[in-house]
Amino acid sequence: MPRLHADDRDVIIDDVEKLISTAMKEVFLKALSFDIQQDQSLDTVAEGEPHVAGSVGFVGGISGIVYIYTTCRFARAMTGKMLGLAEAEVEGDEMINDAMGEMANMVVGVMKSKLADQGLQVSLTIPSIVRGNHFTIEQSGSAHRRVLIFKCDEHRLLVEVMAKEQN
Amino acid sequence: MRPKILTVDDSKTIRMIVGKALKTFDCEVFEAANGVEGLAVASRERPDLIVLDLTMPIMDGVEMLSKLKSNPELKMIPVIMLTAEAGRENVLKIAKMGVRDYLIKPFKEDVLIERVGRVIDLKPKGEATNKIRRFDDPINILVVDDKPAICEQLKTGLGDTPWIVSGRSQSGEAVDYCSQTLPDLILVSLSLADNAGYTLFQMFRASSKTKNVPIFGMCVKTASDDQVKAQQAGFTGVVTKPIDFDDLKSKIARSLNLDTSYKYFEQKSGVLLLKLPGTFTQNVANEVNIHLRAKVSEAVDSGLDKLILDLSEIRKPDINVIKLGLAAIQLCSELSLKQRIVGSDSVCNECKNFEETKDWKFEGSFDEALASFTGPAMASAA
Repeated sequence: MPRLHADDRDVIIDDVEKLISTAMKEVFLKALSFDIQQDQSLDTVAEGEPHVAGSVGFVGGISGIVYIYTTCRFARAMTGKMLGLAEAEVEGDEMINDAMGEMANMVVGVMKSKLADQGLQVSLTIPSIVRGNHFTIEQSGSAHRRVLIFKCDEHRLLVEVMAKEQN
Repeated sequence: MRPKILTVDDSKTIRMIVGKALKTFDCEVFEAANGVEGLAVASRERPDLIVLDLTMPIMDGVEMLSKLKSNPELKMIPVIMLTAEAGRENVLKIAKMGVRDYLIKPFKEDVLIERVGRVIDLKPKGEATNKIRRFDDPINILVVDDKPAICEQLKTGLGDTPWIVSGRSQSGEAVDYCSQTLPDLILVSLSLADNAGYTLFQMFRASSKTKNVPIFGMCVKTASDDQVKAQQAGFTGVVTKPIDFDDLKSKIARSLNLDTSYKYFEQKSGVLLLKLPGTFTQNVANEVNIHLRAKVSEAVDSGLDKLILDLSEIRKPDINVIKLGLAAIQLCSELSLKQRIVGSDSVCNECKNFEETKDWKFEGSFDEALASFTGPAMASAA
């Protein structure tokens, strides 16, 4: 992978996208034993179902935020798998929120490690959660945005990456 | 004393994963959601190990660690750091902070256990209770051999015990089995390809879960190099093929400290009965000798003052029987127990041929021996 150049916005967002794509596959395999595949031809996650998104921001040589969102149904399955529980044993939203936040933290953590190995330091924010039936995440004017779509059996995961270089 | 482990992480998910991984081990797990809580729990509980997250709100792992290291009473507590960031610089930074080890999230349960096991002595729950098991209790035996006939042979040969024998033909399958079920004892073929039996042994010994499980190597009688190599590697013992099942049972009983005394000792009608089986092998002699003093002392302690040594099933007494009889009589004398000996005519006649036993007086049955205690005092043995 080429070293990042803070003066080249396209390179930055392209590299962040690649790093997040690799990190998603790595973390889902290691933490959940889920072999997820990126497929940009897919539709976004299921309409009309409640959704949950875990997000973690990063600040430093480049700044931005990563949202991982999916249906509450799949988030529950992920939480159960992560904790070694049956889905029915996953009680309430708090447990799911925490697991989704931790997944986002791990994915962005992997990205941070790889950026650091290339000489670009960033710090991570504490994870946060967004829940709802109909919501959109939009970029501010100066940020670059990429959307990555992954499939895991019949489920979809959508990752939104927004990044901009530090002024 | 049970080791105490403190897990400090703002993520309840991670705290639950750590707690779940340690659930099968005999330890106490405490939780804290940030550095401030972590320091409070550490001061109160004085844990043997802290598993500490790096990034947390209120007080992060770096600050908690520096406060811990500056406290004379807490600075010796080993810390394993958890971090989602695996970059070289971050790892170096963590190493410089004086932590014992670090783990990159996400991590597998067995990796966590392995790292924790390097710092503290983790014992599986059942093992720590020190429950004395009997020879006729069910125990799980894992056999790792690429020849299915050996596993079948072991199942048949141990068929008169309630022991459960499970066979696996490859190392990987054996490791998978142990991750699900903790066997009480493992038998590994030393002739697996590419020295896999020795590699598997090292893996089992390196794992906190199986490090204390007795592991026997199996090889043919003539493979003396393998026998020496296995002993040097630290195997509990070697079982040679063709398998002598009496010997194997005795080895298993000794390695698992199984109580076999019930096979020979019984408190009955107000006396302690020591009955020797018809097939009196060296293994039987060893087992009886192991328990003799403890069982006789236990009988005295519970108020008994009589012992009957029943040799009626012995067909031809050999030197081992004689030695054991003499030891029992000597012990009775030391502890002021009255004793009688039961034996057939052939046993009686055979004993007349030995200087040490020529004066032994035999009763014809247990009941006769019992009745003789209430009759006129009469020494059974000189």
